[in-house]
Amino acid sequence: MSQLSLKHLEKSFNEARIIKGIDLEVSEGEFVVFVGPSGCGKSTLLRMIAGLEDVSAGEISIGGKVVNDLPPVQRGIAMVFQSYALYPHMTVYENIAFPLRVEKLPQAEVDKRVQAAAKVLQLEPRLQHRPGMLSGGQRQRVAIGRAIVRQPKIFLFDEPLSNLDAALRSEMRIELMELHKRLGSTMIYVTHDQVEAMTMADKIVVLDAGVIAQVGSPLQLYHKPDNIFVAGFIGSPKMNFINGNVTSADGETVKVDLGELGTIALPRQSKAINGQSVTLGIRPEHLTLEGGDFALTITPKIVEHLGIHTVSYANLPAGENFVALFEGDPKVAEGQPTKMGFAIHQVHLFDEKGLAVY
Amino acid sequence: MTGTRSASLFALALLAPALIYILIIVAYPLFDTVVLSFTNAALRPTYDFVGWANYQRIFGAGNFTEVILRTFIWTFFSVATKMLIGTLGATLLNAAIPGQTLFRILTMPPWIVPMAIGIFMWGWMYNGQFGMISGLLQNFGIISKPWPILAQGSSAFWATIVTDVWIGVPMVTIYLLAAMQSIPKDLYEAAWTDGAGRFYRFRRITLPLMMPAMLTMSLLSLIATFNSFDIIWILTQGGPSGSTTTMIIDTYKTAMGSRKYGEGAARAVVICIFVSIFCIVYFRAVRKLSQGEAK
Repeated sequence: MSQLSLKHLEKSFNEARIIKGIDLEVSEGEFVVFVGPSGCGKSTLLRMIAGLEDVSAGEISIGGKVVNDLPPVQRGIAMVFQSYALYPHMTVYENIAFPLRVEKLPQAEVDKRVQAAAKVLQLEPRLQHRPGMLSGGQRQRVAIGRAIVRQPKIFLFDEPLSNLDAALRSEMRIELMELHKRLGSTMIYVTHDQVEAMTMADKIVVLDAGVIAQVGSPLQLYHKPDNIFVAGFIGSPKMNFINGNVTSADGETVKVDLGELGTIALPRQSKAINGQSVTLGIRPEHLTLEGGDFALTITPKIVEHLGIHTVSYANLPAGENFVALFEGDPKVAEGQPTKMGFAIHQVHLFDEKGLAVY
Repeated sequence: MTGTRSASLFALALLAPALIYILIIVAYPLFDTVVLSFTNAALRPTYDFVGWANYQRIFGAGNFTEVILRTFIWTFFSVATKMLIGTLGATLLNAAIPGQTLFRILTMPPWIVPMAIGIFMWGWMYNGQFGMISGLLQNFGIISKPWPILAQGSSAFWATIVTDVWIGVPMVTIYLLAAMQSIPKDLYEAAWTDGAGRFYRFRRITLPLMMPAMLTMSLLSLIATFNSFDIIWILTQGGPSGSTTTMIIDTYKTAMGSRKYGEGAARAVVICIFVSIFCIVYFRAVRKLSQGEAK
């Protein structure tokens, strides 16, 4: 049985429909990441689960019990806020102890739980300090500590790393993953950063304008995106899209006319039909300078040499952006026509509605 | 070294206009008052230095100690009531209630109405013969005959406090409301998620986080109330029988009524010392508070 279940969940603010019917099941112990661009409704969805926003329609169940009308504290959740929401006038100890003080637990129990959380989060030397004296990472840990001591069924994280610098973010990412392994609790994590989603999640929920675009494991989403939105959102640099028309589809091979770039034959049993407008997707990292089943001649406008990678940015004849990512430091120069190839099994195909036609 | 000196001179040159202004407007009159307080200046062209005689007189035979005590009681009740009502008002106005903007606007009239007009209005209400308060109390049968509130010592004392509170509350409320609104919403949401109820959140989050603003407002209110002149002067002129005479009224009466400028100046210096003590206590409290936060 799933631990968290969302059924036809909707949320409107006056006339604006923010969440437009979400169905989702989360199993116990899963690390689920809600990801999507700004304004897609991911934070609203999390706040609805937390009980900080009312539900306009639908049902939220935690542990089999409908919790729509229950206050946050009775839902068995603990939330870590983007801003950390630490009480500036209290010490780290009192911040972590806050929920336990609310519960009026005996001091011995409070102390036991706070010390245990501080040990896990390496905050012991900082317990008597105030949040103002801590670094961003330490503040984040205090916020997590405050969630841990409540021993919740579900942890909710609302973009907890977005205020940290890049180095600290990746450090904290690892710490959170270790924490998840150690506690084994269900965690729901909101981010707009697809790298965070890919690295941390057991299951990613991609949201687009209040609806779920796709749910799946990180690699499922990467290799088999259901639609052009997910294909473009997951992966960095983002997938290249080339518009074309199906010239023949016999059930075994699909031929797509790419205009000036030529015609590509994809040997696959696809739902594509003859004459259909399609979009062909190819990831920048799947392009090679040598070999490949199909080659394009591209003239890079900008080339970035990162040592480990080389990224080339160009425009196709029809104006679409075209990015290529090569390992190491190959000879790719700005303004110099370069042949770039790819294997046809790595090509994605989407119909006019943006749905994958494999 | 030369560089440092020229930098200091440059800074001084930039500060000079403000410094000269302060010297003329603040420092010189203050200095002159202190000098005057050691003289027997009156309505005569010349005066002599009398040493501590003025101070000995005001703390000796006269009733100045009584006036000081009365001033403290008057100030304490007025400031405490203003802070209490202001905090409650700010809390209510900060709550998500229908018509919130209207209520916020409605708190302003006592502050918007020119002070003298507001005080005269209260003077009419306190009138025993045709005042609203006496009339209402008689209508409800609480009192049997007209009650001239300002004509009786103890009621006049509390009446002046009520008027001072009425005038002072809007500023306290609006200031504290602004402070309350600057507390991040996340803190309340986090506390609510952890099960903290309204009162608990108010006690453990709102009040401590508003403490610096409350301290500042208390000091401002304390100084303004301590030196509050117009309310008492318009309502009672310090009467009846001196029951509403505070230090500032007493100083005015001495200096301007009895034309004893030297003695009046000594009283003014004492007021200045008291206000300075309030400020020192305030700054110490603020420093302690900020050190606490930095810990």
